[in-house]
Formats: sequence, C-alpha cells, structure tokens
Amino acid sequence: MSRLELVDDRFGKLAEELRAGRPVASDELRARVSAFRPAPRRRFELDLSFRRLVPAVGIAALAAAVGVAGVLGIVHGSAPTHRAVAEATAVHRSTKGSLPRRPPARASAYAFSAVTSADALRATSGRLQQYDAVLRVRVSDQRELSKRTQEALRLTGKLGGYVVSARYAAPGKSGQAVLVLRVPVEHVQTAIAQFSGYGSLVAQQIVLKDLQRRVDDLGVRIGRLRAEIASIEHRLAGSLTPEQRTALEQRLQRDRNRVERLRKARSSSVGRAQLARVSLTMLVGPKPAAAPAGRFRRTIDDAGSVLLRELELLVYALVVAGPLLAIGGAGMLAGRSVRRRADRRLLERS
Amino acid sequence: MSPLRRISAVKPGARDFAEAAERHLDDVHAFLVYLTGDRNVAEELTSETFARACERWGRYDPRRGSARTWLCQLARSTALDHFRAEDRRRRREGRYALDVREPEDAVFGEGLSPALEGALARLSAAEREVLVLRVVLELDGESAARVLGISATACSTRLSRALQKLEREVSAGVAA
Repeated sequence: MSRLELVDDRFGKLAEELRAGRPVASDELRARVSAFRPAPRRRFELDLSFRRLVPAVGIAALAAAVGVAGVLGIVHGSAPTHRAVAEATAVHRSTKGSLPRRPPARASAYAFSAVTSADALRATSGRLQQYDAVLRVRVSDQRELSKRTQEALRLTGKLGGYVVSARYAAPGKSGQAVLVLRVPVEHVQTAIAQFSGYGSLVAQQIVLKDLQRRVDDLGVRIGRLRAEIASIEHRLAGSLTPEQRTALEQRLQRDRNRVERLRKARSSSVGRAQLARVSLTMLVGPKPAAAPAGRFRRTIDDAGSVLLRELELLVYALVVAGPLLAIGGAGMLAGRSVRRRADRRLLERS
Repeated sequence: MSPLRRISAVKPGARDFAEAAERHLDDVHAFLVYLTGDRNVAEELTSETFARACERWGRYDPRRGSARTWLCQLARSTALDHFRAEDRRRRREGRYALDVREPEDAVFGEGLSPALEGALARLSAAEREVLVLRVVLELDGESAARVLGISATACSTRLSRALQKLEREVSAGVAA
C-alpha cells in the first residue's frame, strides 16, 4: 500500500514528519530483548487451542457415532432373526385337591418367526399351556393347493384332532385355503413340521400362554368351597331353627352351583391346554416368498437404525441444550463487547 | 503427513523468535511509546511484551497473520493491563489529579516539532494507537484492525478522526 493511499493528501506532510521522527528502541532495551529465548519445543506438541479442539472433537464424535453404528450393525446383523420374549414367570401354587404340583415355568411366551418349523416353540412338558400357531404357506399351483388341503385335513384327524373351520377358494389362477384346526398339543410339533413342508413357509407365528396358574387357582377355590359345603352339611345334620336351616340350605345350594361353575371353567382350561389351535393358510400366487434379508443387508439396516437413533438423541440434546448454549454464547459476546468498550474508554482517558 | 507433523512444521522455532524480535523491536517500541505517551513506561512494556511473546511463541501461527501484527496485539494487551493497573492504583490512592506528569521533551520521536509533539500528547491513547499503526508503522487497514480488535471500516474512521484532530491540535499549537 502506498503512502498516498494510506493518508489523505492534506495529512501527507504530517505523516512524513511522524514517520521521520519515529521513536527507536534504546541499546539497553535491545540487549534485554535479545536475551529472551523461547523454551525448546517438544517434538510432538499438541496444540489444544479452542479453534482446533472444537473441529477435532466434532470429527472424533462423528467417527465414534459411525463406529458404534457399524459395530452394532455387524453384531445385530449376524444375530438370528428368531426372537422370543419371556413376559412373566408364574408362581405355582398347588393345594390339596388340585392338579399335581409341577415346576414353575414361563407364564407366557411369544415368538414370531419366518424360519422353518424346526425352530417352532414347543409347549413346556408337564405344564398346561394354550398353544396357538399361525402358519402361512405358499404352494406352487391350484392342484397342489387342493392336494395339500386334503392332506392337512387327513393329518389332523390322524393326529387325534379335528377341523374347526375350513375355507377353500381357487378362482382363476390364484387360490387360498384357510384351515383352523385343533390338534392335540403333544402332536402339534409334528403337525407344524408337516404343514411347513407343504410349500414355502411365508410366515409363522406361535403364541404360548400358560394356563397352569389359572387351573391351579380354580382348584384351590374348588377345594375351599368343598370344605365349606362339608361344614354346612355337618351343621345341617344338627338341630337348627327353621330360619337357620333355610339360610344354610340356600348357602349350600349357592356353593354347590359355584363349585360346578368352577369345575366347568377348569375343565375348559384343561381342554384348551390339551388341544393346540393351528391356523393354516395356504395360498397360490405368482409372487415367491420373500427371502430373509441377507447378513449384509441386515447389517446396513441395523447400522442405519443406530445412526438414526443417534441423530434423534443429538437433536434432542440440541433442543434441550440449545437455549443454554445460545444464552452462554450471547453472554460471551456481550462480555467481549463490554470488555472492548471498557478498554476503549480506558484508552480514551489515558 | 500426519496432523501432528503438519502442526509442527508451521510452528516457528527459537531462531525465528530472535529474528522477529530483532526485526520488530522498534515497531513494538514505537507503538507502545505512542500508546503510553511515556518513554520509560514504553520501554518496560516493550520488555514485558517480548517476555510474553517468548513464552507464547509456540502458539504463534504465521498463517493467521504476520509476526509484527501478533507482536503488536501482545503489546496492546500488555499496555491495557498496565492502564488498568494504573487506573486501579489511581482510584485507590485518590490522587489522579496529582499524577499528571509534565510533558517530556521528544516523547514521540526525535526531531518532531514542538507543536506536533504537543498535539500528540493532547490526543488520547485510543487516537494515538490508530495513528501509530497506520501512519508510523504503516500497517495495512486489515492488520491494524486486527490489532485493535475492530473492523477495517471502523479503523479507517478512527484514523480519519485522529488525523483531523491532530491537525487541529497542531494548528492550535502553532497559533499559540
């Protein structure tokens, strides 16, 4: 930059004079300053200034987020798709007159799967459980649909079960058979294995519900009522006023009715536990059964989900911390402005 | 090249500091003379500025400005600390009015006319600092603005006002 640009022509002479007479440091000061030697720098010195630290931390956090998502994606992606969730554990109580004591087990279990029937849940041996299975199988053509429907009905009878409902329809080139079957629970695994082999298994859902506790509770209540009935009968055998006798007889009748209802409920529960309900849907269609997602696809999907979750958390953190950061930033800017103004006033006074 | 090595590569060494100190000592000294209006104080502050610069030389990044600009920033910060300390001392001792020094001869340079010397003495430190940076040290507008911590436009405005006032003061001094 030339001097003419720097200063207006009017001030040219003034500027020349100021420059010509510029103060010079004394020899003593020169000697003092030349004695200063900066400390030798370490070979690998990290400069942790704020301007460098912020992007470094940002990059590190981003790398960590992607790394965590990748690791979780790989871990989850390689895990099998079969999931079973135990919801509760029953506390088994057995009393006189009830069914034999059995070990406690899962009160209910849920499984959803698109894998082969070999993975299907089995009912716990020795416990009363309601077993519901839903199968969806794709068969090649209408002829196969008809053949497999008949086979399913025959197999159900052969295993000691029965058909609750059957619906068969084959319009045009498509077709569907919906069978609702009751199969003895000890043969349900065989039935499911057979049904799954009729074609491509599209979906399989099995629900297990523990009935043991309910049956045991009913047994306890029946036992109490029977004891009470025995007591009433004993009292009726003695001498009573007509009013007392009438009241006791009414109570006796009521208790007998209740015992009967409870016995029916218990029998119903036991019956439900003895026969599994299998809903089998067979369909014909051009679309092949969707293959389970590959490991790589699952890894990518899981990693994407984790990244999305991390993004959600980041947005949440920003929403929560944003106002505080804004206030802090505004405070810092205001502080800097105040300090600069104070410095300027100080220099104007000096 | 790793980030560590890259950072190390741009970091100035001890020899660079000695060179920078030798090259810019007069600039820093002149800046502080104008800022304080006192040669003795300016010498002390210059010494202190270079002591600080020596300590912080590892933090100096040539990519963010010249050594002269960085040293002037340090000098200004040192001078402000001095002014604050003086301000506190004056308030504490309550003798601000008694502490007004008699103007020395040739504070702001050798060979200046008495009118100009007097006019400079009557300017505030804020006015003198922009004058010395832009006129005496001939820093460009951006560098001077960086030293002062203001925008280049504000720096230009301050310079213009300071020169006008200086001219008025010189004229008044000559007339007197």
